[in-house]
Amino acid sequence: MAAVTIRVSRFDPASGEPARLVPYTVEVREGARVLHALHAVHEQDPTLAYRYCCGSGQCGSCAVRVNGRPGLACMLPVADGDVVEPLDLPVVRDLVVDLVPRLARIAAFLPGGEQDLPDRETVEALKDLCHCIECGSCISVCPAVTVTDFAGPTAMRQLERLRLDPRDTGDRTLLATEEGLFCCTSCQACAEVCPKEIRIPGKAIERLRAEANRRGMTLPRHAEVAALVRKTGRSVDRTITPLFERVESVLEPYGPVRGEVAFFIGCIYSMRLPETALDAIEVLRRNGIRVIVPKEQVCCGSPLIRTGQLADLARLQATNRAALAPYPIVMTMCAGCGSTLKHDYGNLPFRVMDFNEVLAEFGIEPPARLPLTVTYHDPCHLLRGQGISEQPRALIREVADLVEMEARCCGSGGGVKAGNPAEAEALGERRREAIAATGAEQVITSCPFCEFHIRAHTDRPVRHVASLLLEGYKKKDAEAASAPDQPSG
Amino acid sequence: MVENGATAAHVLVIGSGGAGVRAAIEAAEHGSVVLLSKTIAGKGGCTPMAEGGYNAVLREGDDPALHAADTLKGGAYLNDPALVDALVTEAPDRMRELLAWGAVFDVGSEEGVAQRPFGGQQRPRTCYAGDRTGHEMMVTLMDRLAATDVEVVHECAAVELLLEAGRCKGAAALDSEGRLGVYLADGVVLATGGGTRVYDISTNSSSGTGDGYALGYRAGAEVIDMEMVQFHPTGAIQPYDARGRLVTEAVRGEGGRLLNRLGERFMSRYDPERMELSTRDVVARAIATEVLEGRGTERGGVWLDVTHLSPGEIERRLPIMLEQFLAFGVDIRTEPMEVAPTAHHIMGGLRITPDCATTLPGLYAAGECSGGVHGANRLGGNALAETQVFGRRAGRSAGLEPERPKGVTPAIERQLGALRLRFDDYLDGEVPPPSVVRRLRQTMWQGAGIFRDEAGLAGALAGVELLKNQRLFAATERNLLECCTAANQCLLASLICRAALLRPECRGAHMRRDADCSTPPNASRYGHTFLSLTREGIEEVA
Repeated sequence: MAAVTIRVSRFDPASGEPARLVPYTVEVREGARVLHALHAVHEQDPTLAYRYCCGSGQCGSCAVRVNGRPGLACMLPVADGDVVEPLDLPVVRDLVVDLVPRLARIAAFLPGGEQDLPDRETVEALKDLCHCIECGSCISVCPAVTVTDFAGPTAMRQLERLRLDPRDTGDRTLLATEEGLFCCTSCQACAEVCPKEIRIPGKAIERLRAEANRRGMTLPRHAEVAALVRKTGRSVDRTITPLFERVESVLEPYGPVRGEVAFFIGCIYSMRLPETALDAIEVLRRNGIRVIVPKEQVCCGSPLIRTGQLADLARLQATNRAALAPYPIVMTMCAGCGSTLKHDYGNLPFRVMDFNEVLAEFGIEPPARLPLTVTYHDPCHLLRGQGISEQPRALIREVADLVEMEARCCGSGGGVKAGNPAEAEALGERRREAIAATGAEQVITSCPFCEFHIRAHTDRPVRHVASLLLEGYKKKDAEAASAPDQPSG
Repeated sequence: MVENGATAAHVLVIGSGGAGVRAAIEAAEHGSVVLLSKTIAGKGGCTPMAEGGYNAVLREGDDPALHAADTLKGGAYLNDPALVDALVTEAPDRMRELLAWGAVFDVGSEEGVAQRPFGGQQRPRTCYAGDRTGHEMMVTLMDRLAATDVEVVHECAAVELLLEAGRCKGAAALDSEGRLGVYLADGVVLATGGGTRVYDISTNSSSGTGDGYALGYRAGAEVIDMEMVQFHPTGAIQPYDARGRLVTEAVRGEGGRLLNRLGERFMSRYDPERMELSTRDVVARAIATEVLEGRGTERGGVWLDVTHLSPGEIERRLPIMLEQFLAFGVDIRTEPMEVAPTAHHIMGGLRITPDCATTLPGLYAAGECSGGVHGANRLGGNALAETQVFGRRAGRSAGLEPERPKGVTPAIERQLGALRLRFDDYLDGEVPPPSVVRRLRQTMWQGAGIFRDEAGLAGALAGVELLKNQRLFAATERNLLECCTAANQCLLASLICRAALLRPECRGAHMRRDADCSTPPNASRYGHTFLSLTREGIEEVA
């Protein structure tokens, strides 16, 4: 037995007081789960309200947030210092949330089609979507649910499961569009917290959107983007000469060559935020990395995949594969492009690395420190899409003081900014509040969509990691120039 | 329809596991239905946790008569043959119904639902959805339920049946805020599941507290064979707080081997023919014997090994086992599982007719809270089938009850008054329920476990009676239900001990060390044990 102190959120609706964290010290055995600690707390204080049932991860009753992250209390090991709070849903009392209205949005099977079990292949596809235990974790982290009437991730999972079942007679694709299919920003927060590891955005939402596309239900703004990609190979209008047409094919570093990357610039950095991409090129060159710009690169296909418009995808993929094949390392700077190349291209003959990964791996010359406090906005397709979280933070800390804020989608992904602008605005405004609460002077991020979108939702400068680093280098150079007798470090 | 502050419906179903939900779906064909669920409906009971499968004769080469023979033999011929007949005859129809309602069971190499071998069966007869069969069934049933007009009352637990002139008229229930509600109906279905949470080591969910046995018994219904408690051979040992967690029989069905500390495949000593796929009573006693005789692991278990299967097979056929053990730091693809017996299922329960009528008019029972289907030992895969066959039968029978006046009569008012006095006692009590329940579980594990004798049982019963008389304490009204549940557990424990003392033989799961174990079960002169408020005894064959 060992003593652990955990803090548990207590809330009594009758008290009129907000929820507060109360510390409890309890004895637990080796291997004890959060649920067992809650049982012990309940023995000390029988007024604690919490839900549980099967104790073996199968009923989905006991989902709570442990240290901010949703999970099943019966499966998560408990540790000293843990903070246990209810899911981010309307709280009934203490750790109990009002789950039933959310579960009621999950569609029920409508019999009347075929009677017998489908063939093996269909059954295998269905099984992939049947493991949900309706714990509510995905709903509780879904940004779209907070600002729209979106039925939630697992409701979409169920609609895809029903759509694939020949025994079901409902029009599931149509229902999905009515239940908010195009509200999903593809932020992957649901997939990250699912205790059954169901990747709902890829396995359900994108597939339902593809089916909606086959049936002519794609949103007009999404269809416009697809038409543009088909015509130009790029996902945005050519209002300027794209960056990759303007720069040399090979940009040599300023010092000895320490490495080489082929830069997949992406539509937004090429045609909307070229200054940011140029900042990145400068940082790479300063750090001894040769930057090659393949001229044949086209849109990675992400805007098509996320919105279910797959007709032209194979052609884009083939073009990019051929353009990038000669290079061992392909660097992306756009989080969406990076995630797409890593996950939606199958096996590639080269390694795909994000800008932050490249710098972390090759190491950087220390820049000068700026008298600046910044916060970092995690791009969804970098944090969850590529698992990149520490690298950009380490780079930022080289230059400025970093204050953290909760990682939450800004609303610009998944075609939402184009297709559902009101939702994107609402989520952007949530970021405004979060940014203001940090007190930071600037917002640093690492994705063109986030950079572009958040700029409209904060009064602070929003900049890429590269731009911040470059400012650090410029300051360093200026300091060296003004104090020539000081050795530079 | 609400009269005098009470909710009235044609049928009241108590319990939201497989049997309760199936009963509600059926009853809805006959009139209004209220389903009382102690948990969020669909999440409670043991059905969603049931892993292994559902027995049904579906293929050429199998026969309901074979299913019946296996069930009777496995049950040591204590089963009620009419109930077995209903089970084996209707299990296939109920399975086809689940499929038509959208259930996703596994498909094997042949067309149609795959079936795997389970213990004690002459044919591979167990249909499955990986090792989350019960979950798949529950999802399917909840979908079907959503298509009916059944009123589902979530997180509201029946605490007492209400009687009027010798007839069950409904139930009093507590919601999560501790408010008392009254539910009246023409027919009441008890489908509250089992109660092996009265043992220190148990597979059951938190709702396995035996409420149905207690409610039925207190209302005057008779229970049979309460001594018949199935110890599942394979429960997880680690971590301690999750001890008893079910390791599905499917692991052995898929080829898992039991090994003792010395690496011996010891089932060859106990049942060389059927080995690991012997019946659960035999395998559980074999494991317990290995441990008692010093051939167990340090932590008092044996090894269950599937490492000879390919990782792909394990991932496909046993995904939940893999996931659960991984969560506790064991990769079953490369390491054996450490297991020991765990209290799993109560074969005994409310005495029912094939139409699920209990001995109390107006009260029906289905699923684990009823008795007689499984005799002295249940075959793996028969419980899920039972929930569907008898859930439907109970729902139908209750639905066929004629309409009667439903109001809070003086007789019911008196019962509610008594209940309020009991609640006042709890609010004024002394002993927190968890402390009573903890002692109860240890008492039962020690005195009424796998191996039994008269002295041990009598000692356990005395211990239980002491605990029954503790003045339970409810800190707030929201804690009243905990007190009711603890009282129910105490009552269930005493029923188990009393019944076990009534049966002076070894039979199926009931192993009396001080009794004759040589008589073959089909030659036993004993029938059911029975207990009610007015009589108790053991039936003897003339």
